Amino acid sequence: MSTPARRRLMRDFKRLQEDPPTGVSGAPTDNNIMIWNAVIFGPHDTPFEDGTFKLTIEFTEEYPNKPPTVRFVSKMFHPNVYADGGICLDILQNRWSPTYDVSAILTSIQSLLSDPNPNSPANSMAAQLYKENRREYEKRVKACVEQSFVD
Amino acid sequence: MLVGHQVSLEELVNEYEGDEIYLQKVIDLATKYASIRRIRPDGNCFFRGFGYAYLEHLCKHRDEFEQFLVSTENNKERLLGLNYPEFTVEDITDGFGNVAAIANSGSKGIPELHRVFNDQASSDYVVSYLRLVVSAQLREQEGFYKNFMENGKTVEEFCQTVVEPMNKESDHIHITALSAALNVAIRVRYMDRSSIPGVNAHDFNGNGTNGVPTVHLLYRPGHYDILYPRRPVQGAGWLGVDNTDSSSD
Repeated sequence: MSTPARRRLMRDFKRLQEDPPTGVSGAPTDNNIMIWNAVIFGPHDTPFEDGTFKLTIEFTEEYPNKPPTVRFVSKMFHPNVYADGGICLDILQNRWSPTYDVSAILTSIQSLLSDPNPNSPANSMAAQLYKENRREYEKRVKACVEQSFVD
Repeated sequence: MLVGHQVSLEELVNEYEGDEIYLQKVIDLATKYASIRRIRPDGNCFFRGFGYAYLEHLCKHRDEFEQFLVSTENNKERLLGLNYPEFTVEDITDGFGNVAAIANSGSKGIPELHRVFNDQASSDYVVSYLRLVVSAQLREQEGFYKNFMENGKTVEEFCQTVVEPMNKESDHIHITALSAALNVAIRVRYMDRSSIPGVNAHDFNGNGTNGVPTVHLLYRPGHYDILYPRRPVQGAGWLGVDNTDSSSD
């Protein structure tokens, strides 16, 4: 059945194919346009470089007026990513507005990898190491990068 | 229900039975207004209430519809000129346009308007479109609106935190900006616990036109509903008084 959310998601998908942002990709799963798989490539000149991080995006019929639920499937070590892969990012919570689309979501998460916000930590260990022991932080991140090849 | 049916103000009187301050105010309100349409209190009530009341007005005044379409097209160009993302601006404008198009069928479109406003997805497109229009207005007139920002917020931050996101409540700034952006006069009746007798009217006169308000809203702390004025020709109402839209307030 076609609903405003489904029609919009078809348009999101078309736009992502026609005008793909650098370093991210996403597509609906085979039999459900409300659940997408996505990949974010670790940004250059960050410890996440070379990683291929997989995510799922789950939409509701209220999209785009309500944000989707975005979660890393790949194991992550990042100050703003919870142990279950959930992401603490303002535009996915209280700053969400229908002016965002899938493309904007994925590029915002990509920027979050480059610029963590250790002041609102979802992973306090990662936040602490990011602030106090950058070498150890990078070591832990690199382990996730290695892991992302295997997943 | 997101938008209720039009009900007599008598229902409000019953609601405040035994509450002296409010009761006195509701009775005053009932001298000016015949009925009320309740909007779900979800933080979008100002935008949803305004959207409904304005489109319902257009259904009844089809001669204004062409002008309305022109202003919708202008708003889209304004948004794109302010660097809002083209893809989502078009999507939101289309979503709003699908609902607004109902007004082109005139008064017989009103039942369909009511149905569509109670469909969450379609109804929310109206809300998000109006939020975007307010955001554009604030950014365009930043020099003026920055004087009303609190806690050191910039206009940009204000738009990103309490205008563009859904479910964020509206106050004077939102109403002023929407009235100006669409050039629609809005009269808000304030009903609270203050000792001021009667219900104050606050008029938002669009771009300075001092015309008859197109949209009437009732404000009770934290919430807006739609009001329908008594018609002058109606004669004595159930409370025996009829001074529609008296200019004394």
